[in-house]
Amino acid sequence: MSEKKGLYGIWLVVLGIAILIGLYTALKIFIQGHGLFNTNDVIIWSLPLGVYIFLALTSSGLTLLAGVPLVLMVKKYEPFAKRLVFLAIATLLGAFVAIGLELGSVENMFWILFSPNFSSPIWWMGFIYSVELLVLIVKFWRMHKGDWHSGFSNALGVISFLLALIAPLMIGSVFGITESRVTYFGSMMSVYSLVLGLLSGTALFLLYSTIFHRVTGNGAVERQTPLYNEFTVIFAYVAGIAVVLSLVKFAIESASTVPEFLVYHKFEHAFGAWQGFHFEVLLGLFLPFVLLLIPSVRKSMGGKAVTSALILVGTLMMHMEILLAGQSHPVGPKAEQYPAFISYFPSIWEWLVFVFALAVMLLLYTLGERYLKLAEAPQ
Amino acid sequence: MPRYAMVIDLQRCVGCGACSIACRNENNVPEGIYWSNKITETVGTFPNVRYHYIPTLCNHCEYAPCVRGCPTKAMHKLDNGITMHDPKKCIGCKYCEFNCPYGVIYFNWKEPHQFWKNNKVLFKGGTSSPREEVEKVGAEKTPYFNPERGATLPANRPKGVVEKCTFCDHRVSKGLLPTCVEACPANARIFGDIKDPDSDVAKLLGKFRPFRLREQLGTNPHIFYIRDFNPAQYRPTKGGI
Repeated sequence: MSEKKGLYGIWLVVLGIAILIGLYTALKIFIQGHGLFNTNDVIIWSLPLGVYIFLALTSSGLTLLAGVPLVLMVKKYEPFAKRLVFLAIATLLGAFVAIGLELGSVENMFWILFSPNFSSPIWWMGFIYSVELLVLIVKFWRMHKGDWHSGFSNALGVISFLLALIAPLMIGSVFGITESRVTYFGSMMSVYSLVLGLLSGTALFLLYSTIFHRVTGNGAVERQTPLYNEFTVIFAYVAGIAVVLSLVKFAIESASTVPEFLVYHKFEHAFGAWQGFHFEVLLGLFLPFVLLLIPSVRKSMGGKAVTSALILVGTLMMHMEILLAGQSHPVGPKAEQYPAFISYFPSIWEWLVFVFALAVMLLLYTLGERYLKLAEAPQ
Repeated sequence: MPRYAMVIDLQRCVGCGACSIACRNENNVPEGIYWSNKITETVGTFPNVRYHYIPTLCNHCEYAPCVRGCPTKAMHKLDNGITMHDPKKCIGCKYCEFNCPYGVIYFNWKEPHQFWKNNKVLFKGGTSSPREEVEKVGAEKTPYFNPERGATLPANRPKGVVEKCTFCDHRVSKGLLPTCVEACPANARIFGDIKDPDSDVAKLLGKFRPFRLREQLGTNPHIFYIRDFNPAQYRPTKGGI
């Protein structure tokens, strides 16, 4: 028992240090600007934005999963609902840390709400995620007070579910309406974002649950094994959809002679692609999908943990790969200043933004688990 | 209300870069940023090669992707067709830069004009430091600071916002031509109201077959290119097998 208390203390100290480093990073970025990032006028959006996309979509995925018991009324999953809603809130706050530092100013995040351009997908994305955060917090508060299924509480559940459906489509359309960058253009990006959000959300929940129960050692997992196994089947289905979409995407890319798509064959950087192979997809999506097809892997806690961890890392890398591949060559006269292809590796400050966002998220998970009775369900 | 456009005559343009230099001075453009720029291209295989030079600037598109995508309306259209940017509303999301098909929007990644804050002198007692030069002329940030730019836009834009060509809206509003047009020694840039059939711009567009950059995207750019400089002759031939 005292050993666990000791580990808990160490964990809190580690998170505290990470957050202090994150606050220093934020101050440094606010004062010195984005010159601290390894970005330029070709690679415009980098790791902090990739982290934002990954965490925001994961939060949407968690909210959609929470909708299974809270909106679709599949009561047997109610023991997961409160934790799912809380994880969605904490993950979204982590995403806001990343986007706040990508913008370089917290006040900028608020200004976006007060000078709206309704034709801008970025405005809609910011607005929807802000409203979703508020709705999720109120919904969680109602659940915490024992009000799971009043009319008001149900309405909050439905609204958050709908927002979580729309928000990934808006993230996709930020890229999808960019006519000038053909690798992004089209509705495929929105569908892909939604599927990857559901995939990483499911992965995060499974990984979190297995680690949490392993660390705390309570017997809840054993009691709820059939429910976790069913969740793993949902996980395998979503991974299957992501595999199909990825194969379609690769088929188009490899058949195309459009120069921008050829970047995928040439581009080499730290986010998985090497020698023309997309290892982030092979190891972060295809491999765990194949593993999930094996019943014994699907049913074991170790199998759940390994496949969900692979998919979490894989989806982050896939977001980065997509983000960078569309920006890897200079547009128009910028080719006069920059080489034909540009590679990218994050600066220390960009990594620290990532660490800050993760630390905020993990600290919230830790405190929520300790004080907010996340395993509660209605009688 | 006029609708401003520019015709660039590629036969007259000699690629001297006077437009770009004048633009930098007029608009206090920081290092690494180009409101007025160029696309150069060398085609063919030696010794049969040719060099092409296309001056570029903001296309002031009718359906500007940067305006459509800007979340805060910092990038907006004026009634005269000029695509304008308001740094006070800009949140630094860079979506306009990401979305622009022409690569003419730049971001201030650092505090602009940092070079001129430098205190180092080349020869002690002989030359001035960059900072001293700025102080001696009593300018803001650079010795070539143009305060007139500040009429419609912060004369020096801060870090964390984008910037781009405004067709010299501060000059146009006073009845003056954009400075790049004024500075061109070959009269290769012709500026005016495309809606006025008597304007030089409208006449030239009726006389020559213009092309525009990435026209297929449907943005309706308002920079038109006419003619091409090519004095080369060749002996009439039908080729051969």
